[in-house]
This record gives sequence, C-alpha cells and structure tokens, in this order.
Amino acid sequence: MKKRAIALVMAMMMTASLAGCEGKTQPAQEPVATEPTAAPEANNGTPEEEPVVEVAKADDSAVGNLISATTGTVKLTVWASEEDQDLTKGLIDGFKAQYPDVTFDIQLGACSESVTKDNVLADPTAAADVFAFADDQINELVNAGALQEVAAAYTYDVSKENVAGSVAAATVNGKVYAYPMTADNGYFLYYNKSVFSDDDIKSLDKMIEVAGAANTQIGFELANAWYLFGFFSAQGTDLYARLSSDGVTNECNWNEGVGVDIANALIGYVDTGVFVKAADDASAVSNMKDGKYAAIVNGTWSAAAISEALGADYGAAKLPTFTAGGKEYQMSSFAGYKLIGVNPHSEFVGWSMLLAEYLTNEESQVARFEARGLGPANIKAAASEAVKSDPAIAAIAAQAEYATPQRIGGNFWDPAKSLGEIIGNGNPDKTDVKTLLDNAVEGINAPVASN
Amino acid sequence: MMDENKNIAESPAKETSSKGIRVVYENRRSMGKKQKNLIGSIFKNGLLTVLTVIWLIPILWLVVTAFSANPGISYTRFFPERWTLANFKRIFFAPDSVLQYGRWFWNTLVIAIFSCAISTAFILMVSYAFSCTRFPGRQGMIRFSMILGMFPGVLSMIAVYFIMKSIGLTNSHIGMIVVYSAGSGLGYLIVKGFMDTIPVSMREAARLEGANELQIFFKVMMPLCKPIVVYQIISSFLAPWSDFVFARLMLNSGISKDWTVAIGLYNMLDKTLIHNNFSAFCAGGLIISLPISVLFVIMQKYYVESVTSGSTKG
Amino acid sequence: MRIERRKKKGSGGEALRGFKNYFTDFGSAVKNGDLGTKASLLVMGAGFLARKQIIKGILVTLVELMYFLAFALYSVPYLSKFGTLGTVKMEQSFDPITMQQTTNDYDNSFLILIHSMISLFLLVVFVMYYIHNMKAVYEVQKNAQAGKHVNSFREDLRDMLGKKFHVTLLTLPSIGVVMMNILPILVLVAIAFTNYDQSHMPPASLFTWVGFENFKALFSSGGMTITFGYAFGKVLSWTLIWAVFATFTNFIGGILLAVLINSKGVKFPKMWRSLFVVAIAVPQFVTLILVRNFFRDDGIVNTLCANAGITDFLKNIGLLGANMNYIPFLTSKGWANVMIILINIWVGVPYQMLIATGVLMNAPLDQVESARIDGASSSQVFWKITIPYILVVQGPALITDFVRNINNFNVIYLLTQDVYTTTDQMLANSNAKEVDLLVTWLFRLTNEYYNYKMASVIGIIVFIICVVFTLVSYSRLMAGGREEDYQI
Repeated sequence: MKKRAIALVMAMMMTASLAGCEGKTQPAQEPVATEPTAAPEANNGTPEEEPVVEVAKADDSAVGNLISATTGTVKLTVWASEEDQDLTKGLIDGFKAQYPDVTFDIQLGACSESVTKDNVLADPTAAADVFAFADDQINELVNAGALQEVAAAYTYDVSKENVAGSVAAATVNGKVYAYPMTADNGYFLYYNKSVFSDDDIKSLDKMIEVAGAANTQIGFELANAWYLFGFFSAQGTDLYARLSSDGVTNECNWNEGVGVDIANALIGYVDTGVFVKAADDASAVSNMKDGKYAAIVNGTWSAAAISEALGADYGAAKLPTFTAGGKEYQMSSFAGYKLIGVNPHSEFVGWSMLLAEYLTNEESQVARFEARGLGPANIKAAASEAVKSDPAIAAIAAQAEYATPQRIGGNFWDPAKSLGEIIGNGNPDKTDVKTLLDNAVEGINAPVASN
Repeated sequence: MMDENKNIAESPAKETSSKGIRVVYENRRSMGKKQKNLIGSIFKNGLLTVLTVIWLIPILWLVVTAFSANPGISYTRFFPERWTLANFKRIFFAPDSVLQYGRWFWNTLVIAIFSCAISTAFILMVSYAFSCTRFPGRQGMIRFSMILGMFPGVLSMIAVYFIMKSIGLTNSHIGMIVVYSAGSGLGYLIVKGFMDTIPVSMREAARLEGANELQIFFKVMMPLCKPIVVYQIISSFLAPWSDFVFARLMLNSGISKDWTVAIGLYNMLDKTLIHNNFSAFCAGGLIISLPISVLFVIMQKYYVESVTSGSTKG
Repeated sequence: MRIERRKKKGSGGEALRGFKNYFTDFGSAVKNGDLGTKASLLVMGAGFLARKQIIKGILVTLVELMYFLAFALYSVPYLSKFGTLGTVKMEQSFDPITMQQTTNDYDNSFLILIHSMISLFLLVVFVMYYIHNMKAVYEVQKNAQAGKHVNSFREDLRDMLGKKFHVTLLTLPSIGVVMMNILPILVLVAIAFTNYDQSHMPPASLFTWVGFENFKALFSSGGMTITFGYAFGKVLSWTLIWAVFATFTNFIGGILLAVLINSKGVKFPKMWRSLFVVAIAVPQFVTLILVRNFFRDDGIVNTLCANAGITDFLKNIGLLGANMNYIPFLTSKGWANVMIILINIWVGVPYQMLIATGVLMNAPLDQVESARIDGASSSQVFWKITIPYILVVQGPALITDFVRNINNFNVIYLLTQDVYTTTDQMLANSNAKEVDLLVTWLFRLTNEYYNYKMASVIGIIVFIICVVFTLVSYSRLMAGGREEDYQI
C-alpha cells in the first residue's frame, strides 16, 4: 500500500513537471494582477531545470493586520457544487469560529464545478467571492481576469502541502491562481468482478472477448472529447492534443502517425457490438448499475452509486491497454483536479483568500474525503490509510502515471466530440478515416478569431 | 379562391353560439344513413381516443414517475416498480440546502402575480391607446412595435442584464418582475384585435353622456373585454413558470432560496444530479402543473372566445 | 365597423412629408415667435410663463434643468469615451502584508457602450421634446393672439384623461419597452461593430470599434471559424425549414383536431378538449425535458421498441444501421429533425386547436348552409369555404407564428442541448449542429464561447430576415384589405 502512495506522488510530480513545461511555453498573457511578490516570470527554460512553483509564505502579522483593518461585516459568497453543500456549510462554520472577533455573513450558493466558468464569465464582478471549479477552466478564468493570484499563503503552504500535479494544475504562466481541493477529477475503469478477472481488465481486447462471452457490454462515452482523448493520446503514440504557445489555440496531430490505426481500432471495437458508445454519464452509470454494462470508464463522482449497486462485485482499476495497427498501447487520460479560486473583484479579497485556504487545508480535505469519498490533493491527507484503501482513489492513482494534465483550448471539444460520435456509430458513411481525422484536427487547431 | 372570399365576405354578420359549427355539421350529416353515422361516430371517437392517449402518455409518465421510489430515470419500465410519496415529501418537507421547492414556488408565485398584474395593465393600456384613440404617429408606432418584437430576445439578454445591473435590480425579485413585465406592452396585438371588434358606437354613447376616456376605459371597455382580460391574465401569469434562460442570468448569485421553480427544476437535472433527482423533478413539475391545468380547464371558454376574436382581428 | 386602414397606402410618402413638416414647423415657430416664445429656445418654460401658464412653465423648465444636469454628470463621462470605448485597462494589485486589494480606475468598455447608448437615446428624446416644446409654445402664442382660450394647468391635466389620453396610457409601457427592448437592441447592434469576444472581455480587457469587419468575416469564405460560412448556410436553411414545418403542421393539425372534436357523432367534445389542454398546461420546459428523456437512446421508448421488435424491423428495412441497437430519436440527424417537428406538433397543436375552435365558431354559416343546399359534399364545404375563411382570418397570426418559430429557442434548446452530437465535422468546427436554429446557435456562441460580436451579427441577420418576411407577407396578405371583409 505504501508503495502505491509513493507511486502516486511520483506520478503527480511527473505530470507536474510536464504541466510546468507547458505553462512555460506560453507567453505572459497580459497579467491581470500585478503583485509585489510575483513568482519568477516565465522563461523558455527546459522542463528539467524548472522548479515547482512556490507560493511565498507571508509573515504571520498579515492576518492580524487584516483583522484590525476589518470593521464592518464581512460579506462573502461561496459557490460549491450541489453535492458539496452540507460539507461546505460545516467548513464555513469552522472558518467563522476561527475568527471570533470578526462578523461574517457568508452565503453558500450552488454551482456545479463543471460549469463554474460559464457562471463566472457571464459577469465576473457578480460572481461569488470564493468558488470551486474544475482545473480545465483555469486558462479561460485567468484570461478573463476572474482569478486572484495566490501571491501569498497565510495558514498553510499551498504549493508544498499539495501534490505537485495539483499545484501545476493551478498554475498559469508560472503563477499559482487557485487552491487545490481534490486530486481525483480524472477517469479510470469501473468493472464488475463477477464478469472480469483481475487479468482480464489489463487489456481492452481481452475485456471485449470476456464481456462478449458473458453477453454484456462495455460502455464508453466515445462522443465526449474528454474521454476520447484517452485513446488518441495513448502512451507511446507521439500523438498529442494540447494548448499551443499562444494560450488560446490548440496543437493536435491525431491525423498523423498511428492516429488512423487508433481510429480504425476503435471502429473495429464498436463493430463488435460489445464496446458501445454510452450516451452520457447518467446512462453509463445507470446501465452499469443495471448490469447491462460490465465495465465503464468514469470518475470518482460515480463511485458511491456504482459500489452500492455492485456490492462485492465492485471493482476499479487503471484504464486497460488496447491494440491498434498490431501494437499494444496503454490508454492515457486527462488528470483532473478540482480547485478553489478567489474572485479578484471581491470586496474582501483578503478574507476570501483565507476562506479558500481554510476550505482546502488538510483537515478540510480529510473531511471532504470522509464525507464524499473525494481524493485529497493534500499530501498528508492522501497518505492516510483510509484514502489509500479506497478502490476508486487507488485506481485513479494507478492511472495517474499515464495521465496528462488538461491544458486544451475551447476549440478542442466540439470537433473531437463529433469525431467520437462518428466513430461511436461505427463510421456509418464509411468516410475515409484519414479524412475524418483531418477534419477533426482542422477544427481543433482552428484559429480563434480576434480582430 | 378570390371569388369564394368575396362570397364569404358578403355574408352578413351573425352572432354564433359555440354550437354553431356543430349544428352545421350535424345538419350536413343528417342526410346520411343512421348506420353510416354510427360507424363514423365510432371511428371518430376511436381516433380521438388514440390521439388523446398519444397526447397524454408523456403526461402520464410525468405523473407515475413522480410517485416512483427509484430516484433516477427508469430505462426499462414505464410504471415504477415501487410507489411512494417520498418525492413530494422530499421537495416540500425535507429540503436539503439546494432543493428548496417551497421557496421556489413561493418566489415564482409572487413574481408571477406582480408581473401578471403589470403586464396585463400595460397591454390593456397600449391596446386601448392603439385601438380606441386616434393620434398622430399611431400607425407608425404600431408598425414600429411589431418590428421591435422580432428581435431575438435571447441575444438582447446580456444587454438587459447589464442595464438591470446598473440600476441594481439583478438578483432581486423586483428585477425579475421588471424583466417579465416592462416590455410587455409589445404584446398588445391580440387584445387590440379584440378591442377593434367592439363597436365605436358604444364609446360614442358614453362620451355623449359626458364620460372621459378614463371612465370609458374602465366602465365601458373593461366589462366588454372580460374574456380577453382573462386570457391575458392567464398567459402573463404562466410566463415566469417556464422561463429559465432569463431567470438563470438575472438570478446569478447561486443562492438557491432565491431561485424560481424553473431554474430550480432545471438545475435538478444537471448531469451529475439526474440519478438522484429525476423523480423529484417530476414531482415538482407535477405540482406546478396542477394549478395551471385547473386554471386552464376552467378558463378554456374565455380562452377560446378571446383568442378567436383577438387573433383573427389582429 | 371600424374604418381603420383608410390611410394605409402611401404611408411612406406621408412619413417623409411628416418628417419634413416636423422641422419646418419648428422653423416657423422660431421665426414667428414673439419674445416669450423665442425665450423658450433658452429657457424652455418661458413661453408658458409668458402666457401665465405658471405651473407648466416651471415644470418644463425643471425638466430642461434636470436633463442638462444629467447630461453633464451622467452622459459626458461616458460619451467622451464612446469613440474609443475606453483606454485604461484594469490593473489590480494585492498587498500581501495588509491583505488589501487595490484596483485602478479602469474603463469598462461594455458599460461605456451601454451608458453611451442610453445617453444618446436620452439626447435624441430631449431634442425631440425640445422641438415639440417650441411648437407647443408657439401654438399657445397663436391661440393667445387670436384671443382663444389658453388652457390652465388644471385643464391640461384634464386633457390627459381626454384628448391626450393616449399619452397617459402609453407613457409607462413605452418606458418599459425602451428599457427592455429598444436600448438592448441598440447596444447589441453596436456590438456587431466591435471586437467584443473572448479575448476582449470586460472588465479585465477592453474592446473597441472595428467597423464592418465582422460582417465581412461572416460573408467572406474565411469567417470566424474556418467553416463559418458553411455552418451559417446550413443552420439558416434548417431554421427556415423548421419554421415552415412547425408553423404549418401546427396550424393544420389544430384545425383538423378542432373540426374532429366539433364534428357530429363525437361525444363529450368539452371533455376531449380539456384532455388536450391538460397536455399544454404542464410548463413547456418540464414537458420538453421529460420528452427528451422519454426518447433517450437508452430510454423507455427505445426499450419498448426493442421489446416489440420495432428496432429490428427498422433495421431490416434499412432505416437503421446494422450495428444500431437503438433508435436514435434525438441523437442522429434526420431522425432528430423529424422528431423535433413531431414533438413540436405535440406541444403546439392543442393551442392551435383552441384557436381554431374559436375561429370555427365564427365561421360563415350561411355560406356553409347554402353550399350544402347546392349539393356540395362535406369535404367540398371544408376545403372551399372553411379553409379559405380560416386562412384569411388567421393569416396575420400565421405570420407572427412563423417569426416566433424562427426564434423558437425553447423547443430546440431543451430537446437537443447535451443530447445531440453532430457528425458533420464542418458544422462541429463552427460549434453548430444540424438541429440548431440561428437563435440556439447564437445562444451557444454567447453563452459558451463568449463570441458576442458574431452573435450580434447573426442576430441582426435573423432580425432582417424576420422583418423582410413579415413586411412582404403582410403587404401581400393585406393587399386590397381582404381581412377587413371579416371585420364586422
């Protein structure tokens, strides 16, 4: 068990350096906040010599300064996902109790982490002071000036106490812009132990064979660019889809090299009738519960529902390998994190930062794991026996080795989704696969208009 | 075509009862044989039964799912496996921090009542001005307002939002009332059409007796316009219950106790929540539909009468 | 009974003449006015004061003062930046020692645009009022000189309930329409000429004027995305197809249903009508979301179809691909397009049925009867008398419905959002789908991609299409004032 935890940390370090590298290649994006204690500016240094970003620990008098400078009521709004409401409410009470001399009026709003960006960007000045979001939205939020830089930490060391991958995910252009909250927002394999043995789930080909024999199916959300990425950017393919150096457009080469092989392999899998396109998250999970699917690719948010339904047959593991063009590749995935950000338009930026720190400190992350089973980003919290023995979190840790941090521009989603839909339907028009990929790549790499 | 129109046009005006058209068809049919009639009747009633079933199946699904013990969507069964009242209990008596159905219902009711009153007043005022008074620029205004109504509202939403924000009316129910009712003057077409059918002589008579326009408006026109007023009240009352796009933008603080039913219900079906919420969503949908259905069925008569005159004469 | 359309023809010329008179009247008022009237050029109430209309004079002057005050304090700061839409970018700095954020005095392009538009609008209104006031003052002068009665304030007030009742009635609704419709439209039209998009989003960034660039981008082959022109054509054609089908299927369906319910041999017509009405009493967004889940790929209908063998049957006759084990009701093109129209029938026909019931009640019975005596069959009566009658009386409503369907956001959005995935990669590259209407597309462009400038361009085009269509069809429908024939 200990080994696994170390592997997890190692893996996250690796992804972090990768992410750091990508962050580095971006030019400074007209920084929205000029801060006295700025982290070193991005340069074109090679990834190896790239140190993990550091957030300066401010001296302790700062909080005292803030308390004495605060006279009236501190009014804050917090956005947390609907499932997180009860937990967050408890944490907010804890926060208030820490500062008995200050009057707080903290409102808790509901906003799913996956759509925070849409709610914030419509009018950043009206958004919550402190909000939770998924790390893929960080670029757009930073570009819109909707995230306060974490220029200093006050109650714990944000950059050292969280796993490196999560800090990298919270970093844009060498500056940390958010507080890591969970380290589990990626995807992995759920399977039914009554159908698959531990060996079966290592290879997708084997799984299809077994599931076919058992007259069940394997559900995969092919028409979802997020999941589809796992196949095309598999380990050892030299294929990539990532944000290019301008920070807005994408670089994708799925139409080169083994891309065609992978697309053909996927169409072949779909043609078996065993590997099927799941309509959406809800339907994948629901079919898994009903036993129609023997395995699905999904994330920790479904763990409770699936383990409850499957009981002793509940299994979770890293993603399998698959065969394309006669070669075997390990599926990749997006490494996802959930972060908490502070709105620079807040009237009480200082208090918002303290609250964000409180919501993401070790105790809160442990509480979040205990209440909801979400994998902590905090190193100490993640090292606890309870966390390590959770099958879903263990699975995501195992997959972390092959995961890529999610740095991709908005033009990726629709074209890749359309590609997945065509593949998921078994390429009904028999379009040339290379053409399909060319079209998708053209859309993914399309310039973003700006006059 | 033209000739026939002429023919119809020459027909004198006639008060018709709601049974008028039936009488005609009955007369026409009475020439046929009794047996033929019977077959026709069975066929028609059968056809109507089939159509009604098609129309009501989704509604039935709504009703039965509202009583389903399975909180998510059932993919395999139409009727729930187990029946329960828990969904209703959940949305009303066990509100979690986000699911505040009672509050939503109350908010929407308040917004609906006020915006209904204001819109109805505005529409009646505009209709009276355009139909019963004469002033220079009237035709121009009528045409202009018609064109104005064609601009896609979805697009102007963001500008409306910032205008409302600059007067501090976002995240407020007063703001929602303003949004739903301020521009309602443009929806005068049907009411004006109805008023156009009321003979000028009635107003002239009142005028000769020394009534001013205000008195004519209230004492002469309003009683005559009863069906269209009822129609207008129903339609403006319904708008806030089903708008979620505007409401979501205007009430963007995320505080769920401020939401309207539409935002709340829409939010319940968020991708990650649909497993837990679908039958509660149905229960919520059913509850708002009940009063509206009753209202509709009772007001049907007015609705038919007013829609007729309004839409035809607009 | 009313003779309303008498002056319809030549209204364009009339408008022009009226426009000219508007200014010549003002000119003669200035030229021929006496001292009091001329003083009104400066102090707007002077003319009234000179005629002892004290309260009116004071009120008008107060309005003038208030406007000047508002202009100086509110309009000038914004209008002065209108040319550039702001130059000072937002800068914030956070002091980690005191934990305080300071923000500079930055320009917000969007607020500058909105408030400039409001200011310009107020300016136009004030100028119009100013001209109107001069004429009114001159009118009072003429009356006084001719020895006619000059209204007291009390009489003016009484006029507001008499001769000028329309002013009383229209003031509040007009303010509402200005606020909710006219100003937002002006702002949106202006945005079409700026570069307001995701890389230029206030408050963090500024945007500025770019002239006709966006329109050029739409119509040139390049466009905003590589396939934008293509997507625009596709979406526009589906929008029009949808609007035609949605309008006419509902219209005809409503008539047929009304005739069926009202025909002889149908027992309890009221009950049938009420049953259909129940279907529309459930708010649209509830029923549409419900129906969307009803027809899911793995939903209840698909399960039933699979169990009943319909899925296999469709597969056998080639309507479904060989490896499809469900019917893609709302998820594949063709299927989805047809289903949307069918579902729209389900949603809309009961409404149309109610309307048609009403229309049929007013049908020209004598015609029907005499035709019947002449030996016409029932279907002849229906097609030769009832339908033309309905078409003529319902014509205007059909046009409004058509326009409403072009802008029918709810049905399309609720049925296809998060469900439908396009397989046309050219469309996908422009964030469009085969089932998108122009409005749903532009909603997505603004809501998910923040491409306000292109959304405004599309919005303007939708608007122009609707206006042209309406004006053309109205003038054709109204040619000869045929609808008047029924306005007894």
